[in-house]
Amino acid sequence: MKKFIFFLFVFLAGLLQVTIINYFRVLTIKPCLFLIFVVIASLTFELKWALIFSLFAGIFKDIFCIGAFGINTALFLLWSFLIVRLSREISIENNVLRCGLVLIVVFLHDLFVGLIYVYSGNYVPLGIFLRIITLQPIYTALILPLVFKPMKSLYYAK
Amino acid sequence: MFKIKKKNLINLAVSVLLLTLLLSAIPVLRAPFLSVLKFPLNILTFIRSEAGALIFYHRNFRQNEILKGEVDFLRNKLNTHNELILENSRLKQILSFKQKSPLRLRAARVIGQSPDNWSSSVIIDKGESNGIRRGMTAITFLGLVGKVIEAQEFTSKIMLITDPNIGVSAINQRSRQEGLVSGTLGTNLIMRYLPEEPDIKVNDTIITSGLNTAYPKGLLIGYVAVVGREFSGLSSYAIIKPVVNLSDIEEVFIVIP
Repeated sequence: MKKFIFFLFVFLAGLLQVTIINYFRVLTIKPCLFLIFVVIASLTFELKWALIFSLFAGIFKDIFCIGAFGINTALFLLWSFLIVRLSREISIENNVLRCGLVLIVVFLHDLFVGLIYVYSGNYVPLGIFLRIITLQPIYTALILPLVFKPMKSLYYAK
Repeated sequence: MFKIKKKNLINLAVSVLLLTLLLSAIPVLRAPFLSVLKFPLNILTFIRSEAGALIFYHRNFRQNEILKGEVDFLRNKLNTHNELILENSRLKQILSFKQKSPLRLRAARVIGQSPDNWSSSVIIDKGESNGIRRGMTAITFLGLVGKVIEAQEFTSKIMLITDPNIGVSAINQRSRQEGLVSGTLGTNLIMRYLPEEPDIKVNDTIITSGLNTAYPKGLLIGYVAVVGREFSGLSSYAIIKPVVNLSDIEEVFIVIP
């Protein structure tokens, strides 16, 4: 049941990401709700379910993106796998650590996608490239506590 | 040193193969997925629009007062303009010029936007069933918006001119200086491949040239904000401020050729 509700939340986050989130742009940058849910799923559920949620979030994002290959799906699965492995090694039970983790994951994700984009022959001014890879991780990390709290209470609810 | 069981290796190979197939099949999944999502997206777009109207009530009220004044002024101008069109049409007939047919437009509502910061695209609620095809131009009453890059049965995806993947052949309305306009992912556009000393000034109007058959001639793109020299020093560029506010677009028109 909890998994089903979480699945619904990922679905809702996806819909919000392509509609209402545009009102909350800061310097034309919007946060990535998908990656927040990938991190939460990886910290909350076992590996199998974390990968399933990441796969769903990745496919959802790629369907709305431009491009013939599901780069977000592949990267979301990779981040999810690495976070689950990392959470087995060290304890991530603190809001600051979780925000730090989101910051790193979003930064790496943007860096990968951005570099692929640039090396595919697209012209992106350096200022805008840097703005995306620095501002989006910070913005997304700041939003994490707002999303994590209700998700945590949902998970521990009887 | 590393002992990998044969069974695990086969499982890994099968998983990688299935994943690669899935990742390559994502474009095929788009059409059914977007058809299913059309209804919830429409609801959320409606909520967003209504919430925006409430939140920005005061700003809209003030804007409305200013716009009423502008409408009166423009009505007066339009009247004069209509007279000129009629005169132009009469003179063209006398000179036996081939009459250009006016643009056929199809209105569509924006129901979704690009989820990431690395591309600029929107999804509209009209598709192939409404006569929309890949490659058609999207505009608003103000000017150029972009072009249709994917047309599904009930929805279509439009790449906005702020996306770096797009290239629009454009000219300066004053000097007829040609260049290629493309997006930068920011709020402005860039006009490149200008000569070393281009005849282009700040506030000049940039329109589509019609050289690229994808875009009809004369569509307003924007105004020149900055003119600069490329790093190589061999050519110049101009930063264009688009006439359409693409970050908050709600409705578009698709030009049916």
